[in-house]
Amino acid sequence: MAAAVSARWLRFRGGPAFLQTARRAGVGEAKLCCRFYPGSASLPKVEGTNATGIEEIVIPKKKTWDKVAVLQALASTVNRDPTAVPYVFQDDPYLIPTSAMESRSFLLAKKSGENAAKFIVNSHPKYFQKDVAEPHIPCLMPESLEPQIEEVSEAALKERIRLRRVKASVDLFDQLLQAGTTVSLETTNSLLDLLCYYGDQEPPADCPYRQTEHAENLEEATETNVQTSKMKTIPWKAQNNAERIFALIPEKNARSYCTMIQGMVKHRAYAQALNLYTELLNNRLHADVYTFNALIEAKMLIASEKFEEKWNNILDLLKHMVAQKVKPNLQTFNAVLKCLRKFYMHGRLPALQTLREMKYLGIEPSLATYHHIIHLFYHRGSSLKTSSLIIYDIMNELEGRKFSPRDLDDDKFFQLAMNVCSSLRDLELAYRIHHLLNTGDNRKLIGGDLQRNFYYSKFFSLICSMEQIDVTLKWYKDLIPSVFFPHSQALIDLLQALDVSNRLEMVPQIWKDSKEYGHTFRANLREEILMLLARDKHPPELQVAFADCAADIKSTYESQDALQTAHDWPANTLQYIAVLFLRGGRTQEAWKMLALFKKHNKIPRNELLEEFMDTAKASDSPALAIEVVKLASAFSLPVCENLAQRVMMDFTVNPEQKEALGNLTISNSSSDGDSSSDSDIGEDKRER
Amino acid sequence: MLRRIPALIRPRPFSGLPLSSGNWDVSVAVCVPPTARSGTGRTENNIQRHFGTGSCIYSKKDSQSVPANEISQKTAETQGDREETQKKNLLDILKDMKVELSTVNVQTTKPRGKRPSAGLQAAVSRHRRAPEDPPKNRNEFLSSELVAAASAVADSLPWDKQTTKSELLRQLQQHEEETRTQKDREKSKISFRHIISEMKIARSPSARVSTRPQHQIQFDEEMDNSSLHLEKPSDFKQRKGLFKGKRLGIFDIKAFADEAPETEASPSLWEIEFAKQLATVNEQPLGNGFEEMIQWTKEGKLWEFPVNNEAGFDDDGSEFHDHIFLDKHLEGFPKQGPIRIFMELVTSGLSKNPYLSVKQKVDHIEWFRNYFNEKQDILKENKVEFT
Repeated sequence: MAAAVSARWLRFRGGPAFLQTARRAGVGEAKLCCRFYPGSASLPKVEGTNATGIEEIVIPKKKTWDKVAVLQALASTVNRDPTAVPYVFQDDPYLIPTSAMESRSFLLAKKSGENAAKFIVNSHPKYFQKDVAEPHIPCLMPESLEPQIEEVSEAALKERIRLRRVKASVDLFDQLLQAGTTVSLETTNSLLDLLCYYGDQEPPADCPYRQTEHAENLEEATETNVQTSKMKTIPWKAQNNAERIFALIPEKNARSYCTMIQGMVKHRAYAQALNLYTELLNNRLHADVYTFNALIEAKMLIASEKFEEKWNNILDLLKHMVAQKVKPNLQTFNAVLKCLRKFYMHGRLPALQTLREMKYLGIEPSLATYHHIIHLFYHRGSSLKTSSLIIYDIMNELEGRKFSPRDLDDDKFFQLAMNVCSSLRDLELAYRIHHLLNTGDNRKLIGGDLQRNFYYSKFFSLICSMEQIDVTLKWYKDLIPSVFFPHSQALIDLLQALDVSNRLEMVPQIWKDSKEYGHTFRANLREEILMLLARDKHPPELQVAFADCAADIKSTYESQDALQTAHDWPANTLQYIAVLFLRGGRTQEAWKMLALFKKHNKIPRNELLEEFMDTAKASDSPALAIEVVKLASAFSLPVCENLAQRVMMDFTVNPEQKEALGNLTISNSSSDGDSSSDSDIGEDKRER
Repeated sequence: MLRRIPALIRPRPFSGLPLSSGNWDVSVAVCVPPTARSGTGRTENNIQRHFGTGSCIYSKKDSQSVPANEISQKTAETQGDREETQKKNLLDILKDMKVELSTVNVQTTKPRGKRPSAGLQAAVSRHRRAPEDPPKNRNEFLSSELVAAASAVADSLPWDKQTTKSELLRQLQQHEEETRTQKDREKSKISFRHIISEMKIARSPSARVSTRPQHQIQFDEEMDNSSLHLEKPSDFKQRKGLFKGKRLGIFDIKAFADEAPETEASPSLWEIEFAKQLATVNEQPLGNGFEEMIQWTKEGKLWEFPVNNEAGFDDDGSEFHDHIFLDKHLEGFPKQGPIRIFMELVTSGLSKNPYLSVKQKVDHIEWFRNYFNEKQDILKENKVEFT
């Protein structure tokens, strides 16, 4: 019908507007299609159903959602707010961190508060029995940590093992044995698990994960975490309970051996672990994949052998896996790669071969795998000239992928990759890595606090040195402080970028920011800022702003003076501040700066004195000019005479002043070689 | 059963071999000399026997399917009968081979320029495809007759008898090895497990003596294929991918293909702790309020989304319609009459009851079914129909 109407309308209009109307008519027809076709299509279907009779109604299955699906969808709509601190902090002006140290201590405080509450609840369960929640919330109730079964039985032993009471379990096991009860192999093995995992020690007290995590973070900063975290574990003692119970088992099965081997490796008894493996083979048993992973680690850490021997030992282990029909897993190959890292250059080709073997077996490499490979190819010691391009291959491979944690080292990849970018000076690659980090949930794999700071510092300094200033400032606003708090070095990089692109008017703002981020007393940062401010002359209004900034920086030095008595002002700083005051029109304060020179036994440079002379001339005050000359002579500077001459020429001096000038120059030239003179005069001045 | 023959066999050339897939090239090259040496007429026969125990020989020359040992022995004896010059040839060939062993690429140097026959090449390719074997299989033994025959050959030669003998033996041993591998492939099920279970492992395998040349070759390769120092960054797109190239060649995917999934035992402490540690890897401070709610939901502190009136109600996954539409359980009751009316009232009541599970509701209906069945006589008496 609509088509008919539009057609008629078209006919009425006709004439020159034909083209336009034709187009409209077309649109009308298109709409018509949309509206009418579904109806006409559905019509015969209805008839069809009528013809066949009543169809059976299939009740659709209720769609079940994951309980967090809605929340996840909502969470994915929230972006990071670059103007705010992360969500974890209390939204309170007093509790918003302004420096890396503060943020760390706030987070720790929050966590330790939680832990303390949990400790109180668990240690006094009788006061926390009232269950207010409906339905019941188990995690808010005190955990029952006391064993319930009192009598000596295998069930009691099982319970103690479940509660991870190492000592109680061993005691109970001994009692059972004395009573002549045989403990089943299954239970004995889980007891061995417990003993081996904790190295025959009670598990560390409350919330071990938290504590270890923070400890690890600290170590990662030094990048020696592998060794130190090993040092931290309790060493394996010969003839400990685990070995004793192991020896008591009449018919050991593979699991008994495996758990012993893993325990020995975990607690650094590598040679013993390898011996036990030989014993396992002699008993014609098969190790499992976890044991092989542990053994590879043991081979790596055993006392020094040559590369070939070690590598062949590891290959032998892999061949044993084939022979025992043990399917390797991701950790197996990551352990091999980790081992190859020790061989530096020699490890490269075997590492690539290992990677290909993984691919062949259909084991998807995780971020830790690539971490090890990058580590191998970009070792710190290797020079830039021989740097390899493998990271580009890896990035081609990884781009656009989403990762979930599959190995304990997965969180070290981004940090290292960014470090390599920074050493390659490749900004494009850095952007690619950053993009990968922001794909999906990958950013969760950036690691702990320090690793994140490291990553972003490297990224930001690379941007500072390679990117245009506008883009750099955009990144600055975006990343700082909502993602990380910059080091003083990052700020210096930014200042240099500003300097290169001639945007020095930003510098006072940067100083304000850096004060906020806790770098108020960083000497190198302050000097860098002052140097940039004082180096060139700028338009007057800018100079006023710079002078304000200089006054601010000066006040930080003064407050530092108050704090520590033996503090020293660098000569450059004094110089720059004085110059900035002069240019900013704060002549009075500039003169006070000159007094500071004397106080700290520093000598002003000629340029500064010239500058003072210039201001004296600008204000047309010969008295000031003579003061400058006096000062110069007091420091017995060679420039004194030139200054005096300049006063004579540029200023209208009265005879007294002239005489004074003459005296100054003479006394200066006469006492030129006299070293004691300047200190004397300095003392005179101070007395006055 | 697996005796070692340390002095005679000198495992040197094998020691590092599993590293490279060149392994098979080498052993094939060792097989070539008989072709080069012997006459044309019998050659075919001999060769085929040498590669013998594979499937082809059994199909063709079934009548002559003598044990491989015997054939090899015969070969050795014929060798013994040869004239001086031919022995010299043999020794030269053996020496040539020694050279070849040290290089990975065997194909470039053919002994005495004779190309292997087509059948041989087929055999070669067959070997190439064959998976590598663990090093234990190397410790093959040779029968004492064979050793005796080889020493006879060596005695008949004027040169250093020990070396000749050991070289001959080594060659023979390689035939043995091939035989063994082919046999193993046919009945692969019993292969390694059997061998290994028979073995005691010595603490440090002494077989590995010099592996250095292998590694040097590897490093050379590395120089030209992995770290291309002088390449410009623009070239990296043309580089061959990360996954193209030689692999370790230890594992065979087929070995794990048909493996049954592990029996679901309760996870050990190690696995639990590993999972816990893994969970901390991507633990990040919460990004926003919703993430905090996710965490609370996981801890069980928050009402689960989507919020409905079934929260916390777990009835073995049965759906709401199972609770509401209970008519389908009324089959077997009369279609009409007082019992039907009664049962419909029962189902109607049950469908409105939120406290019973589906199973309880069905049981309830079943109870009535039994009840009426038991009371059949009373029903009949009162002329109420129930079937």
